[in-house]
Amino acid sequence: MRYVLRLVLPRVLLAIITLVVVSATIFWAVELLPGDAATRLLGQGATAERVTAMREVLKLDQPPLQRYVGWLSGFVRGDWGESLVSALPSSIASAGGRQSRPVADLVLPRLSNTMILAAAALILYVPLSLILGLVTAIYRDRKLVSWLSALVLVGTAIPEFVIGIVLLLVFSVTLQWFPPLSLIDDAQSFTQLLSMLVLPAVTLTLAMTAYAVRMMQTSVMAVMESDYVRLATLKGLSRRRVIWRHVLPNAIGPALRVTVLNLAWLIGGVVLVEVIFSFPGLGRQLIDSIKLLDTPVIEAIAMILAAVYIIANLGADLIAGFLNPRLRTG
Amino acid sequence: MTHQAADSTTVLSVPGRAPGSVRRSWETIRDLPAPYLLATAVLAIHLLVALTGPLWAPFDPVKLSAGPPFTSPSPDHLFGTDNFGRDVFSRVVHGERVVLLLAFSASGLAVLVGASLGVILAYLRNWVDESAMRVVDLLLTIPPLILSLLLLSALGSGYVIMISTVAFFFALRVLTVIRAAALNVVTEDFVTAARLRGESAWSVARREVLPNVMSTVLVEFSLRTGYAVLFIGGLSFLGFGAAPPTPEWGLMISEARPYVTNAPWIVLAPSLALASLVVSLSLFTEAISEALGLGSSRVRDV
Repeated sequence: MRYVLRLVLPRVLLAIITLVVVSATIFWAVELLPGDAATRLLGQGATAERVTAMREVLKLDQPPLQRYVGWLSGFVRGDWGESLVSALPSSIASAGGRQSRPVADLVLPRLSNTMILAAAALILYVPLSLILGLVTAIYRDRKLVSWLSALVLVGTAIPEFVIGIVLLLVFSVTLQWFPPLSLIDDAQSFTQLLSMLVLPAVTLTLAMTAYAVRMMQTSVMAVMESDYVRLATLKGLSRRRVIWRHVLPNAIGPALRVTVLNLAWLIGGVVLVEVIFSFPGLGRQLIDSIKLLDTPVIEAIAMILAAVYIIANLGADLIAGFLNPRLRTG
Repeated sequence: MTHQAADSTTVLSVPGRAPGSVRRSWETIRDLPAPYLLATAVLAIHLLVALTGPLWAPFDPVKLSAGPPFTSPSPDHLFGTDNFGRDVFSRVVHGERVVLLLAFSASGLAVLVGASLGVILAYLRNWVDESAMRVVDLLLTIPPLILSLLLLSALGSGYVIMISTVAFFFALRVLTVIRAAALNVVTEDFVTAARLRGESAWSVARREVLPNVMSTVLVEFSLRTGYAVLFIGGLSFLGFGAAPPTPEWGLMISEARPYVTNAPWIVLAPSLALASLVVSLSLFTEAISEALGLGSSRVRDV
């Protein structure tokens, strides 16, 4: 138990500190965006008084530190503020107040779309990387497998937006199997939703799998050269039994860690893939909001993505810690 | 396992030399399997195009109406023309220099800063090293792409800012790798001997430590250049990198995306150029890493 505490506590603490540092950086970067929210909201033609009044409503007259603390505590409590873009200038003019849309209403549907995409990618990824990793490690002397390994190596290097574009060209433009735009909010039926999910999910899977196969392969090969596997083979156990009972359980730990690391890496990939396929998820919303300077939405999405990234890294770190017996003693 | 064996024979056959020194590696590169040699050849072609491309590219890369818009590939326009009638082949050829220059600058800066700090910290091994590594650990868990997007849109997307941002995130990773390699060296007897001889810290770091981590530095440079091509390409693809009408490949791919249905060559040409560059760089890194006896499996971290 003390070991667990010593393993978990400092890492969780570091993750929390990182989150605070990242949140401050995000807030600071968003502050630096050109123009301020009040003028952006009211448009260029607004009078000085209107801008001053709006600055008060948006609390822009407060010092930055106070606003940062206010924003962060609001974010933690689930109050993410209101989007600047969805407010219509005409309604502000007529009612004097703001016709606004809470950030959460805008972001949460996008978050669930991205989670659907990530889940679809993981469903393909886990069996594919496990099987390919095992097969390429066990049969590495065969010619076909060495070609497969070379292909995997090439796969790790190709950027996901190139994979995405090529898949789009082949399966959507040429063969017309899948729609070129994955506007899943407009999907009429479940089959239509699935056909829209296939290309983005496969793109993400290919980009992740190549790397995971590589890691799985290395870790299986290391285990197969270990003394206990050699002993098990010399004891006369069947090859199948050696692989299932001795190799697989010992090789799966590092593979698990890579999977969690891949989740963190997925954050970047998801932004690119969503843009390629016009997928209405968090990543594309982030890019759109940055271009529209919709600061509350940018802050909320950047925080969500950063939190997922940091928590995934923490998870990978903890898995590595629990799997390393040398850390457990002493 | 095999790497260790190779290392020990190296040590035996060349007494007094640390394993993985640079000079012996050319012979090893020569004996590598065909895919690596092919990759090295492809990489050489890319470098040649970057150096000489603008001299022989048939058209000005930003000249509008070099031909009718959306001309499919033909002898006049090898990769066709784009929506503005610009020659896609000339744009890809000119883009090579932009892509490589940006990537080399970012990875060069990252390796310079990261390797120097890594060697210094490993040499110090005191509270400065300890606390610096805490900070590095913290910075390493910041998501690079998300923060780069925010910083670039806030600070403006000039090349200097982009290169510094990318170099910052890469330098952190280089630092940890080089520091780990240098830690193995500073405990060696010849470093202790140099210290006892009364050599200055600077001289020990430069003459004893640095030459022995040089192979790791080289591999890091090659590896990070590949990552930088990917990362900067991604930034440009999302509209946060090079500005139009620069013939940067990531930007070209994103600009050509709307025409993928009727003019696929506009998007295909820069995509294939980018893919072949990154793949050849990655295989080349693998090759030199193998040749320098450093092994190959490493964790992707960007």
